[in-house]
Amino acid sequence: MIRLQGVSKRYKGASTHAVRSLDLEVKPGEIFGFLGPNGAGKTTTIKMIVGLLKPDQGRVLVNGHDVNAEAVAAKHSMGFVPDKPDLYPRLTGMEYLNLIGDVYGIDGATRRRRLQHYLEMFQLTEAAGDLIQSYSRGMQQKLALTGALLHAPALFILDEPMVGLDPKSSHLFKEIMRDHVAKGNTVFFSTHVLEVAEQLCHRVGIINQGELIACGTMDELRKSPGRAGSSLEKLFLELTDEGGSDEK
Amino acid sequence: MRNRVWSLFLALLNVNYGWSAAKYYYLKKRQRVWEPIVIAASIGPVLVMMLWFSWVMTEQLFMAGLSFGQPHLPLVIGTLMVAVVGLFFGFFYVLSSFYFSNDLPTLVPLPLRSWEILVAKLGVILTGQYVLGAFVLVPMIIRYGLLARGGIPYVVIALTVFLVLPVIPLVIASILAVLLMRFVNLSRFKDRLTLIGGILLLVIVFGSTYWMQENVGTDDPSVLIERVLSQADGLIYSIGRVFPPSVWSAQALGYATNATGWLNLFYLLLASVVGLVVLYLLGEKVFLQGALAGFEGSRGRRKHKQVEVQGESNSAFLTLVHTERKLFVRDPNFALNGLVGYVLFPVMLLIPLFGASLEGNPFERLDLGGLHPFLVVGGIALFFTLMIAMSMIPSTTFSREGRYLWIIRGLPLSIEQIMATRVVAAQMVNTIGCLLGLIPVSYLFGWRIWEVVLGTVFGIILSSTVAYLLVLLDLSRPMLDWVNPVKAVKSNLNAIFGLLGTSILGLLLGFIFYLNVQSQTLWLIPFELLLISLLLGSGGWYLGRQVAWKLWSKI
Repeated sequence: MIRLQGVSKRYKGASTHAVRSLDLEVKPGEIFGFLGPNGAGKTTTIKMIVGLLKPDQGRVLVNGHDVNAEAVAAKHSMGFVPDKPDLYPRLTGMEYLNLIGDVYGIDGATRRRRLQHYLEMFQLTEAAGDLIQSYSRGMQQKLALTGALLHAPALFILDEPMVGLDPKSSHLFKEIMRDHVAKGNTVFFSTHVLEVAEQLCHRVGIINQGELIACGTMDELRKSPGRAGSSLEKLFLELTDEGGSDEK
Repeated sequence: MRNRVWSLFLALLNVNYGWSAAKYYYLKKRQRVWEPIVIAASIGPVLVMMLWFSWVMTEQLFMAGLSFGQPHLPLVIGTLMVAVVGLFFGFFYVLSSFYFSNDLPTLVPLPLRSWEILVAKLGVILTGQYVLGAFVLVPMIIRYGLLARGGIPYVVIALTVFLVLPVIPLVIASILAVLLMRFVNLSRFKDRLTLIGGILLLVIVFGSTYWMQENVGTDDPSVLIERVLSQADGLIYSIGRVFPPSVWSAQALGYATNATGWLNLFYLLLASVVGLVVLYLLGEKVFLQGALAGFEGSRGRRKHKQVEVQGESNSAFLTLVHTERKLFVRDPNFALNGLVGYVLFPVMLLIPLFGASLEGNPFERLDLGGLHPFLVVGGIALFFTLMIAMSMIPSTTFSREGRYLWIIRGLPLSIEQIMATRVVAAQMVNTIGCLLGLIPVSYLFGWRIWEVVLGTVFGIILSSTVAYLLVLLDLSRPMLDWVNPVKAVKSNLNAIFGLLGTSILGLLLGFIFYLNVQSQTLWLIPFELLLISLLLGSGGWYLGRQVAWKLWSKI
């Protein structure tokens, strides 16, 4: 579903690479957790997958389409929720969702059914007629999630999706992720909450200083020499400390 | 299901003009219902004046032009005006909408082609040009049509010209912007560019005003028309060279009943289509790359200079004063709108000094050099007071915080302390800004030092009391819901109310000074200034004690 081939990115004026020679493949039916300390390159990688940044080297393929060469086809396959969804504050929730519905070409009947389902699930039905600027951060997050799920994307990409969600919504959201992959779809998300990754992900990748330093199932990571029985937290700390976090 | 480009266009239009926001606040929440009435009452007369001016000017130019064989001169001037305004402001609108807007990270991951985003955004800017056209071009076209008895062909051509004319300047502006953004990553210098653009705009506005005054300046409209008509051939020739579409438009309208008119309309349509095709191709090839380059603008791990950790402590009061001052001055959106008055004043005085003569300079006519010392004192105090309102620093102080207001709300400070810091910060900027203009002016007109010092002291006292009231005004109805910081100052009614109230105070003071002149009691001016300051200060202080805390807790 996602294939990154030798992807590198260095921001203009930066002394180091944000992402360096990243090779990664995420298969259909997988929930893939992308972990790393602050500034490790998680968001840069996600932005390259969704077409918000262009890699300096390498290719990003989504559902077989090159994100840069066949942008529209690739984007049709995915739904994206950024870490801080910046939605049009002066549209109502319903107007925003209808805009997304129109852009993805979702017919009226399907749209109504899905909107009803997700708005009820996220308890946004009553607020949907209000301006987005009147929403709390959690409500904006849920609206962005609804928008990203509206076209039932084959690939669901989320940057720190649990931030701003209350425990109930967070639980609900994990269920949505599981349901989504049960239908053969893929979920790719970044997170700092290691417990969530441990519970939810089929595979995790750990990135540090722009390089993928570990990737596999929890069992595979634990089987690496000297790490038998380690928790994900311990593994993460050991791996990222070795590399040295760039945080000051 | 709507077409996706149409749907995006409607959504952007909605966001731009705030239709849903208006419906939500005025109809659903029943809040700020008086706002549209106040806006209509303030803008309405200006629009009526614009319509009337276009109507009358068209008639006069048409009548006068008939004898010169140039009856369609008003059309050339009208279409040129719309085109030039469209090209100049369009460039800034396009840059701000294409590259500096916050919605690109939302739109780029959607399955939209580059040109689709471009067209939807361009469409929104175009509607703004139609609004301008509706008040300048439409009355001109209608009046001309009635005078020239245009008939149905004229109506068809007029409608087409109205719709097509703003397209060409906007397309040119867009092509320039798209190319510029492709090869220069301007987003990294967004703040500097806003500042340079704003200063450039001021220079152009004042330069052109000065040029007009030097070259065609006259108080008599008939003399102006005569001058324009006497240079009509040259004017049309020059315009034709610089911007042919305005001449095509005028010719199309002027000769609507014969082949010349339709041929010119064809040129206009052809140029628009060619422009749109070029823009489409550039949009597909270049726009997205420019936007993506913009996303990287301020990112990246750069090598930072080692900064010494500052452990020096300051009083909370002074720190807040300096923070308010820095936040205002460092944001070009605030600084350009707020500090423009301080720049304009000396520039207005200095520009004519470099000209051929001082004739026509209003300050020369006022004979400022021969003023009574106490009138100078009163005038300076009045200047300080008007400028503090014009700066908008006190009247938008809480509004400018927007979503960051929580920072100040979380601090262990009383609202009285916070308000005091806001007044001092505003006064700090105001005093420096006013002195910047005042010192050269005092030198030019030979005012004595004691007059300037006394005027400055009274000015600081009076303007501080006014600033306190303006801070209180903003506290009563802060405009916190904004994304674009310009809106916090430019679209803020508190700034307008503040300016209006201060102008009324200025008129009142002016009237009192007039009475002083008449009754030869100019020595009373300092006492009057003190009395008014005392009244405003104590009234404001009492009002603040009564309501400030309630208002602060209500936000």
